[in-house]
Amino acid sequence: MDIQNTIKQTVTENPVVLFMKGSAQFPQCGFSGRAVQILKACGVDKFVTVDVLADPEIRQGIKDYSSWPTIPQLYVNGEFVGGSDIMYEMYQSGELQTLLKPAGSDA
Amino acid sequence: MVTAEQVQQYIAAGLTCDYLTVAGDGQHFEAVIVAAAFSGKNRVERHRLVYQALGDRMRAEIHALSMKTLSPEEWAQQQG
Repeated sequence: MDIQNTIKQTVTENPVVLFMKGSAQFPQCGFSGRAVQILKACGVDKFVTVDVLADPEIRQGIKDYSSWPTIPQLYVNGEFVGGSDIMYEMYQSGELQTLLKPAGSDA
Repeated sequence: MVTAEQVQQYIAAGLTCDYLTVAGDGQHFEAVIVAAAFSGKNRVERHRLVYQALGDRMRAEIHALSMKTLSPEEWAQQQG
């Protein structure tokens, strides 16, 4: 399976997926760390993270997948939501909590 | 190393801005961008316009760019 199909499968089979540098426990970049914190602050405890540093093919492939040049990238129910700036703005306005409620939060 | 001034010039060259500031340390940059092109567009579309203006520089020279993107109307409200 090619990398674009692998990514598509990952984001459609899991309600909340964060492509990031490092892991949720040990983020390797401030922006990725911030993205994890925002998800947790939204009450989401079931989310999948993909460490792009572990696979150069995914690191490039995810940028092509959504024509988005930066990491982290958040996907909810298969849809690209944005990077950490957009996540933060949506968190501040409450939009992100609404979007995530049916997806991965127990709240 | 890229300076904040250069990043500002790159953005301004590719996108007509009503207001634009860029601060940064050569690796991480923060920009506030007000452009008429943002009106009626969502956040993802706005960021894409900025990335488009930066082109290959976003991959090669700039490690990270944090941005606030506002339409002139939203900017006026914030100033209000």
